[in-house]
Amino acid sequence: MLQKKKKFDKTAFLFIAPAFVLFTMFIIVPTVSSFYYSLTSWDGINPNIKFIGLANYKEILTSARFGNALKNTALLTAVISVCENVLALGLALLVDNVCRAKNLFRAIFYLPVILSGIVSGFIWKIMYNYNFGPLNKIFDMLGLGALKQDWLGNADIAIWAVAVVMIWKGVGYYMIIYLAALQGVPQDVQEAATIDGASALQRFCSITLPLISGSFTICFTLSLINGLKVFDQIAAMTDGGPGFATETMVYLLYKSGFGEARQGYGTAVGVVLLAIILVLNSVQSTILRKREVQL
Amino acid sequence: MSTQTTSVTGQKGFNKKKSKIAPVIIFIITAILALIFVYPIYFGIISAFKSNADILKAPLSFPTEIYTQNFKDLFAKTDFVTAIWHTLFLTVVSELFIVCIVPLAAYAIERHKSRMTKLVYLYFTAGMMIPFHLYMFPLFREMKIFRLYGTLAGPIICYIAGAVAFGTLLYTSFLKGVPIDIEEAAKIDGCTEFQAFWKVVFPLLGPCTASMVVLNGLSIWNDFLLPYLSLPSDQAKTITVEVYGFVGQYTARWDIVFAGTLISLVPALIIYVSLQKYFVKGIMSGAAKG
Repeated sequence: MLQKKKKFDKTAFLFIAPAFVLFTMFIIVPTVSSFYYSLTSWDGINPNIKFIGLANYKEILTSARFGNALKNTALLTAVISVCENVLALGLALLVDNVCRAKNLFRAIFYLPVILSGIVSGFIWKIMYNYNFGPLNKIFDMLGLGALKQDWLGNADIAIWAVAVVMIWKGVGYYMIIYLAALQGVPQDVQEAATIDGASALQRFCSITLPLISGSFTICFTLSLINGLKVFDQIAAMTDGGPGFATETMVYLLYKSGFGEARQGYGTAVGVVLLAIILVLNSVQSTILRKREVQL
Repeated sequence: MSTQTTSVTGQKGFNKKKSKIAPVIIFIITAILALIFVYPIYFGIISAFKSNADILKAPLSFPTEIYTQNFKDLFAKTDFVTAIWHTLFLTVVSELFIVCIVPLAAYAIERHKSRMTKLVYLYFTAGMMIPFHLYMFPLFREMKIFRLYGTLAGPIICYIAGAVAFGTLLYTSFLKGVPIDIEEAAKIDGCTEFQAFWKVVFPLLGPCTASMVVLNGLSIWNDFLLPYLSLPSDQAKTITVEVYGFVGQYTARWDIVFAGTLISLVPALIIYVSLQKYFVKGIMSGAAKG
């Protein structure tokens, strides 16, 4: 045993080293250096990188384009995470209680998650097409021609149309987590409450909901972070347009870095994004964790 | 399994008391929602077997005859074979390396508990917070310095690094349930710890490895931004990147884009349908700790 203790560190070191080196070199080093690049006017090509202090951050605070991107991101993220969680819990309850084909339904609701963002974005781009998209065709068939819209071309609606696609694509993941939590709610407690005369709604509110609050924290955190990071669907569907109507922070970051050769500025936007993620994450886990109940 | 049966019968007994209609209503609502969910995918699949004229004229109808000219044009007009090869190569090679590197690290973290390994665990799992977009510009500069930019090795290394955080989480939580006696016995029999890990412990981690490989492999298969920006621009990149390119390029030939879409979708579907339980397990053990 004593001998083992001497060898101990060396083995652990050797086992961890490959993962540690790659993780550090290709995630942590670029992340840390992005703080430096965010203080420069780097264009991505020129090897002479000029230090410009906080000018990029000053621009972020004052530019209308960033304000617009921040607003779009906040709107999208809020809508996506609320709708995804409500819908995911609803679907989980349905799948948990449906009398047959439970596994089939679970598989179907999860299905959109496995598609790539680009492919699902493209399919929905055609679905939304004004002239021959299935959505408008269906409205025509139902005699609801008045509801027809240029879903992605109208600056007022485009962001909601994008949100629908993201909810459709994301909700299955959270449903799986909620479903597992629901199946972990002990049946005897439910039965005891039923005998005591509690209605289905009462049982749901005072037993099920508190007991699955841990999953709620996880799902809400994950959906917020995923909402903030969403990129592929916007690239495939709207390219940030029409105008800047669906340009989010990540999209602004990407466009200023590659379209406009301002990688220093783009990186500064990324640093702000990381700050937002960290703040949101700590704020909501302290708020939500407090409400968690364990049996 | 037994709890599930009681839950189902309990539910049924309960519903019977109230009414016989409730289960029917639940079933109908669930079925309608399922149809809505599956429709876009169904639409994508049937459109891949229609001519462009049919897609425009009758988007809702089932294809009257199987049309394959779009697949022929796809392979004749573009270098889609290279794209498929790249996607396959990136996914398989990255996963091979990930399976060699990540479980080993997680094993050391879980079985060699010390202050150092606890710190490493926190360090790795904190990586899940960092959005790729934040560090992608500095990452590409670093890849250029290491001459990885414009090669297939570039994305592979990034995928391995990117798998460390989630993989560590998954494997450490799974390892807690693997009894330590067997590996101790193997070590007493003269195995080095490295041998004991690969010969005794790793085979026991099968379900966990399967979960990580399907979840991770799918995200590599579907990845867009990294191959789009870091693979050489003089040849086809990956399936996803090509489909993205077609959307702008073949605005008059949607049948070709749908053909590409189908090729991206089918392998993912097959993997999902055949290995469904590992998706569920992976998500759940990730969520339990995350």
